[in-house]
Amino acid sequence: MSGINITELDKVYDSGTEKVVAVEDLSIEINHGEFLVLVGPSGCGKSTTLRCLAGLEDVTTGSIQFGDEDVTDHRASERDVAMVFQNYALYPHMTVRSNIGFGLKLSTKLTGDEIEQQVEDVAEMLGISELLNEKPKALSGGQQQRVALGRAIVREPSVFLMDEPLSNLDAKLRSDMRTELQELQADLDVTTVYVTHDQTEAMAMGDRIAVMDGGVLQQVGPPEEVYRSPVNQFVADFIGSPSINLLSADVEGETLRGPGGFTYEIDDTEPVAGHDRVRVGIRPEDITVVDSGQNTADVTVVEPMGNENFLYMEMDGHELTARVDPAIRPAEETQVSFDFREAALYLFDAKTGDALKTKTDTVDPAVVGTTED
Amino acid sequence: MREQRRKDAVWRFLTYAFVITMVVVMMVPLYWMLVAATLPQEQFLQFPPRLLPGTAFLDNFAALQERLDFVRTIRNSVLIAVVYTLLSLVLCSMAGFAFAKYEFKFKEPIFYAILATLVLPIQLLVIPLFLLMAQLDWTNTFRAIILPWAANPIGIFLMRQNMKSIPDALLESARMDGATEFQIFYRIALPTMRSSLAALAIILFLFQWDLFLYPLVILETADMYTIPVGLAQLTGFQRIYYDQIMVAATLAIVPMVVLFLVLQKQFVSGILAGSLKE
Amino acid sequence: MATSDETDDRVGQAYRRRIRTKIRTATRRSRRAARPVWDRVRFARQDLTAATPALPRVAYLFIAPFFLLFSVFLAFPVFYTLYLSFFEYQGVGQGSLFWIDLGPVYIEIPQIAQLNFVGLGNYARLLGNDLFWQSMFNTSYILVIQVPLMIGLALALALALNASFMRFKGVFRTAIALPVSANLVAYSTVFLLLFNEQLGFLNYVLAGVGLGPVPWLTDGFWARNTIIAAVTWRWTGYNMIILLAGLQTIPQQLYEAAEIDGANRWEKFRYVTLPQLKPVFLFVVVLSTIGTFKLFAEPYVITGGGPTNSTITIVQYIYRQAFVNFNLGYASALTVVFVAVVSVFSVIQIKIGGED
Repeated sequence: MSGINITELDKVYDSGTEKVVAVEDLSIEINHGEFLVLVGPSGCGKSTTLRCLAGLEDVTTGSIQFGDEDVTDHRASERDVAMVFQNYALYPHMTVRSNIGFGLKLSTKLTGDEIEQQVEDVAEMLGISELLNEKPKALSGGQQQRVALGRAIVREPSVFLMDEPLSNLDAKLRSDMRTELQELQADLDVTTVYVTHDQTEAMAMGDRIAVMDGGVLQQVGPPEEVYRSPVNQFVADFIGSPSINLLSADVEGETLRGPGGFTYEIDDTEPVAGHDRVRVGIRPEDITVVDSGQNTADVTVVEPMGNENFLYMEMDGHELTARVDPAIRPAEETQVSFDFREAALYLFDAKTGDALKTKTDTVDPAVVGTTED
Repeated sequence: MREQRRKDAVWRFLTYAFVITMVVVMMVPLYWMLVAATLPQEQFLQFPPRLLPGTAFLDNFAALQERLDFVRTIRNSVLIAVVYTLLSLVLCSMAGFAFAKYEFKFKEPIFYAILATLVLPIQLLVIPLFLLMAQLDWTNTFRAIILPWAANPIGIFLMRQNMKSIPDALLESARMDGATEFQIFYRIALPTMRSSLAALAIILFLFQWDLFLYPLVILETADMYTIPVGLAQLTGFQRIYYDQIMVAATLAIVPMVVLFLVLQKQFVSGILAGSLKE
Repeated sequence: MATSDETDDRVGQAYRRRIRTKIRTATRRSRRAARPVWDRVRFARQDLTAATPALPRVAYLFIAPFFLLFSVFLAFPVFYTLYLSFFEYQGVGQGSLFWIDLGPVYIEIPQIAQLNFVGLGNYARLLGNDLFWQSMFNTSYILVIQVPLMIGLALALALALNASFMRFKGVFRTAIALPVSANLVAYSTVFLLLFNEQLGFLNYVLAGVGLGPVPWLTDGFWARNTIIAAVTWRWTGYNMIILLAGLQTIPQQLYEAAEIDGANRWEKFRYVTLPQLKPVFLFVVVLSTIGTFKLFAEPYVITGGGPTNSTITIVQYIYRQAFVNFNLGYASALTVVFVAVVSVFSVIQIKIGGED
């Protein structure tokens, strides 16, 4: 069994006239049995990375190791990996049975009977035994998803690769399948690399998540760490829903002065030492509405979610979002005062976006655990 | 409301009238051909023309068969068209697959060079082709008829267009399953292309079925004739036996009608995919 | 069948219950059972595949067979034609390699093409040749009337058959498309008889309503129209089928939206059908234009190009020059000019049609 070692991976598409760098200097170590989620906006290089792992794309420079074996130059079929595609990529002219058995038939020395047996076992495991003689067209989205999974599982690969496998399902089914996938992966104990653009999915599923942007790996870590201690403004902004509130502020001694009369006194000036200007980040759940305070904002919209309310506010044209108790429901178009604790404050370099300070408050499971939308 | 309904009714009536008129127009020549095939020549060539079928079909057929082994002619035509169609389907789908799904040097120039030959009237290639076949000593052979347009530009165009619609993930999935490139082609790409292949089969069959001038030049002996050549030969005697020509024409229509009825549905969806993109 | 959501849910629960007990039972190493022949064949093929190195240029293998035949039988003749067009073919001195006499069809190919370089002489000659211009005129005349007529009819029929109230669509469609099944030479012969001035069915019908007789084949003007009628008869249904299929891909919502906006029948056609149908329409127009440009067998069989060359088409003229008069060089030059004209025409159509 194997972990994955990606070392200084570069992938450059060269069309002759122009070069496009899809992935730049990527190094990740993935442990055996780990569920790693590659997440980022579209075009960030996450799918390309996955395709390099699969052997569907040639690596420009760098190497990929599965366990102790260097597979950089191996064909896809020689890597002992299985992949689940976004649209499932089921062969439309084959029955579910043939779909699942196709890989075994082409690349193993199992006899026809043994293949048949394995296909039936996997189908039973996934609860699709009755569908074995159907064609993919006759199946619902969820069933197709299971067939695609079955096709990957049946080959008992050492690595699972999944490219947005849940994005075609409706919301309810998607969250059901998330849980199922995690259970399945934990039970089979197979190293899994999972690509998604949905940070909620990434947070919910990954043992660790790797955030990518512009072909460059920004940060790898457990979801909570990435959420609480992002290395830069991009990661802070990308992870978390609703997104973190970001505004620019001037540093005047111990005072941060932002737009719309925003001021905040900080006790610890060390992070801002040597900076005239910083980016201030506050998570929506860290904003509290107070009776009176030095910072005010105009409420534009209140979205009642049932268990909490989202307040959308404006501060001199700057949008601000707060997640507050459902009991707090100011009228729209009114002005409210708000406050937050310094421990919850994020500060970033105004130019580079690098983190100067991240959350230092203690973990409150009630807060961190409710980031799903 | 009432006014509108009356207008709709008139519209409907006119539409039906138009369609039925066209059906009649389309059917008259075919019907007339059938009538002519069942009448002795003398009855057929009288004025006013006879409008009802007679009973002389078999006699006419026997006379035809005596002068020119037309059963054999039909068999030749079917044989040539079938072999040609199958061969061309293989060549066009393989090449179409490469043009749709691989990147390689000079891909676009090669493709457009092939496509450009679409405008060439096939009759005009007859001169150099005949000289070529004479050099190869291939005159009066079926292969001389079958091979030249097996690399059919319409075929490669249609297959490329249709193959483009196969999701790349499907092919990659097969690649991960351990399929070789050729297995991907014939186990994944081809089976998903059934309707396009059917459409192309009709087009190719029809193309070969209609070839006239070229086989006329290449085929020398009566036992090798295809239908158009045989028919032309029937008009070439001092006395033109229209009754026999009509029998031959009637028989000649059968294979094409059968093919058309069987593959009609696929023809529609297959050819459509070719015209929708670009 | 239950709705998919229910099924998924039920299946999902069953699966979750089962998973903890079933894990890894799927793992089963091959039992030492007798291996059937087809498995051994499969294994042999796998070994073969594994032993073969990955072919880096697999795409070329896929196009090679096509390209080989294409080069020998299409590209070479094209270039040879181009080459021939600069030469004059010299005499019949060396005897015949081949001749065929089928009454109206007499073909003779001389054995050795003695060529004499004439530069652009052939091209200069064709520009000054009346028959060339006559054949260009005839072809253009037929084209200008036949293509719009046929496509208009095909479109009207497609619209009619696509109407929601229309019944027996399949029957009508098949009946109208049936002429395409008729063999080219066969149907031309049928038309030859139908349009016969003394004995033909058409003049009989016209006489019935007090008209005619029309000199369908013996008057230049009427003969051209006879050719137009024949070609239109055969190909209208074919084009209708393609257009009908195109119509059926137009989403119904577009019509509903137009209806809500108060569009009448014509406006729905003008603002929904036409723009949506455009790619298919263009395909049909371009192929029909090329097809009619290449007209040969119909005039060859029905009118023989007559009377007095009033129906001779450009292809037929080239054929005559090549196979009746053996002016191979000149015929090749004609071919080059002809192909250039057709190409320019097609490109213009695609450019106009492909805009916006």
